[in-house]
Amino acid sequence: MTFLARIFLAASLLVVAATASAQPVRVDNAEAELVAAVDAVVPGQPLSAGLIIRHDPHWHTYWRVPGDSGLPTTINWQLPAGFTAGPIEWPVPKRLPIGPLMNFGYEGELLLPVRIAVPADVAPGQTVQLKARADWLICKEVCIPGGADLQLALPVRTGAAPSRFAPLFASTRAQVPQPATLEAASATIDGGRVRLAYKPAAPVQRLEFFPLEESRIEPAAAQTLRAEADGTALYLTAAQPVAAQFTRLKGVLIANGGPAAADGGGWAAEIDVPLVAGVVPQVAAAAAKPVAAGGGATAVTFWVALAGAFVGGLILNLMPCVFPVLSLKLLSLMQHQRAEDEAHLPHASLRAHGGAFAAGVLVCFVLLAALLIGLRAAGEQLGWGFQLQTPWVIAALLLLFFLIGLNLLGTFEFSFGGALASSGAAQRLQGDRLSGSFATGVLAVVVAAPCTAPFMGAALGYAVTQPAPIALAVFAMLGAGMATPYFALTWMPAALRRLPRPGVWMLRFKQVMAFPMFATCVWLLWVLAQQIGVDAMALVLGGLVLAALAAWAFGLAQSGAKRWRWMALVAAPLALYGVFAMTMPGAVPPRGELAKAADGAAWQPWSRAAEEAQIAAGKPVFIDFTAAWCVTCQANKRLVLASDSVREAFAKRGVTLLRADWTSRDDEITRELARFNRNGVPLYVLYDRNGATHVLPELLTERIVLDALDRL
Amino acid sequence: MLRRAFLATALLAAAPLPALSQPTAGQPAPAFTLTDLDGRKVSLADLKGKYVVLEWTNPGCPFVQKHYDSGNMQSLQKRFTAEGVQWIVINSTSPSHSDYLKPAEQKAWLLKHGAAASVAALDADGTVGRAYAAKVTPHMYVIDPNGVLLYAGAIDDKRSANPADVKTANNYVVRAFAELRAGKPVSAPSTQAYGCTIKYG
Repeated sequence: MTFLARIFLAASLLVVAATASAQPVRVDNAEAELVAAVDAVVPGQPLSAGLIIRHDPHWHTYWRVPGDSGLPTTINWQLPAGFTAGPIEWPVPKRLPIGPLMNFGYEGELLLPVRIAVPADVAPGQTVQLKARADWLICKEVCIPGGADLQLALPVRTGAAPSRFAPLFASTRAQVPQPATLEAASATIDGGRVRLAYKPAAPVQRLEFFPLEESRIEPAAAQTLRAEADGTALYLTAAQPVAAQFTRLKGVLIANGGPAAADGGGWAAEIDVPLVAGVVPQVAAAAAKPVAAGGGATAVTFWVALAGAFVGGLILNLMPCVFPVLSLKLLSLMQHQRAEDEAHLPHASLRAHGGAFAAGVLVCFVLLAALLIGLRAAGEQLGWGFQLQTPWVIAALLLLFFLIGLNLLGTFEFSFGGALASSGAAQRLQGDRLSGSFATGVLAVVVAAPCTAPFMGAALGYAVTQPAPIALAVFAMLGAGMATPYFALTWMPAALRRLPRPGVWMLRFKQVMAFPMFATCVWLLWVLAQQIGVDAMALVLGGLVLAALAAWAFGLAQSGAKRWRWMALVAAPLALYGVFAMTMPGAVPPRGELAKAADGAAWQPWSRAAEEAQIAAGKPVFIDFTAAWCVTCQANKRLVLASDSVREAFAKRGVTLLRADWTSRDDEITRELARFNRNGVPLYVLYDRNGATHVLPELLTERIVLDALDRL
Repeated sequence: MLRRAFLATALLAAAPLPALSQPTAGQPAPAFTLTDLDGRKVSLADLKGKYVVLEWTNPGCPFVQKHYDSGNMQSLQKRFTAEGVQWIVINSTSPSHSDYLKPAEQKAWLLKHGAAASVAALDADGTVGRAYAAKVTPHMYVIDPNGVLLYAGAIDDKRSANPADVKTANNYVVRAFAELRAGKPVSAPSTQAYGCTIKYG
């Protein structure tokens, strides 16, 4: 209380002592004064007045947004009738680091200019008293609230001359940032990372961003400036938790040291750029900065990402397109067990089996990651499901699954992995069970790929924006998670023994397993049909018939009828031709067919323009980002989106339904997914009437959709 | 998901973190163990089943003085501890700073002002302060009986060091508990705290 008392005492003394000109007031660690740029008030002409704070060395007061702590200086004017004061015109602040925190403020001599409107009817000859109460927080290491009642008396004249403060006003005003529109400015947010980019008119060596809204940008985090292909990019860190209202990046940019820089190359501008969600790469914080965003944080994120990837991998085992392959693996393990029991072997080799499977999964994930990183580096816009957007990959998988099915039915003998005929793994598979397990692991991953997108959209988005080693590690952990249940089973033979005893049923089981394979073929064919059309489909099916012929002849040859071998040798290349001929590049699928199909006319094909038009018209919009090859998408579509209650709810609320079909590659959709930090489907986005986005979970239920609609 | 998990784990690496990452309301509050001014250990885990309020303090700070000289902080402490809330006063000032108080000095100051907190402790190495990303004094946190952070931010909406403003301020801690009592979620789980910078070493 004592210091406040002192302030009041000082202030009251000042009021008593007020004369025609103002006197500086000394308050704790600073001197304050009310000044004007001219020596008289001119009727009808705006007056440049202001508050000077002369800080003692190392003491500072605060900018309009003080940073992690502090308070902005305030001026409450008490002016004669007809006079009105404008806002404080804040000159550019300095960054004032305090330990791990950051403040924005001023040291030394500070002028806070204010424009005062002067009425035209004020009579020359009289003296005008301008009074103001100024309050501030002044800090060095400790902080002291300061304030003073100040006063400035000016004569009214028909003309005015510059006062001795005029140069200070001029130099200060030059430092007040003006609203500006940067060329091609964009702001992107990706979790905690924010990227501001624009095309600079002149080179920028230093760029500092000062947020004009609190709790948006972390004041103390390092800011990294990079010259990039689309201009200059400044990387910032969003304050946690990221505010829902953070939709515009508002702040002051100070370039090359600001307008006061000696070389004249500096400037400052107040900017207001719409902030959109998107992918922001992680950039290394400048090492020289005393308060960096932190390697420690990166390390922690990294370990958590690994843990998340591991759990994601575990979940993969439950995915429908993994299940058939894993059930095959189970079958193989059971056969192995039986062989061991018959031979009275210990279970060490069973463990090796599990290890080989795990290695297969791991190697495959790492290779996929390497491929993804490689393609990314080459500038490819791609998503996780990219394999299935390429017709020949689908055709190859189709052939593979078809042959696996035939093999399971006993048409020809091979470990099922032998159907990887063209891969050269077949020979090794036959004699060596460990490499067979390895191949099973590889196959499991290849088949799992389209299922991973829905489960790991965010994690993958994270991984592909990370440096290569981190991305590789995350993918390896995905693989480890996926392999773990089977690996564990091989280490706990007790659990395996609980499986039924071997018998004829095992042969039947193996044969039954053929049907999930054929079902997978149907799914793959359906996907392929979306891409290549009916004529090409017929050719592919013809190829499959030839493949069946080749497999049958091969099986006969295996069972001793060697003369059938020639038929296998003739039919096999023809089968390959049939399957692959029409799927070679050039067969570009028509887009949007899927959108028209299935659940009727309610859905329109998505495009950015269509979406924006609907939102602009004030309509709620629901967007289904889907693909024919995405099982989760199809399940959601049939079970939820096409259900009567959901359709009624959509209709009742006048929701515009847009479907973004990503069955084939589509750069516009890829970019839109990236805006939501995804690189896979499904993605369900609901825009309300105000254009605010609500992202729904990847596994929909009627309840989820209806609740989301209720909140509109 | 990654981010939230990251924040929960941030505590583990909190001490060497050069910048502060704010724990998120709705997520588990960072665990901590402190030695109180009488030398007893107190940890968040021991307080399971009770609401916990954390109050960062520094008697040398005018914003802290605002709330103690006006009697505001003490009355909040009395009111909520009477309802079974554990109110923990934490001072994270580094011994290298002139504002640093020894445990006995801190205790004497609290006694003199009639503070009614459940626990008062020094966090001289700043471990707990950094884990909570406490930036200013007073910085307030409310934790539910399951250890979930419900509120982090300012004590009230009057950003000043003027004790007279306490009367007209909307106190965020009071509001949070009122909402909880009414069975509603905390409407503003995170606000920009105001006050003096915490003097971390």
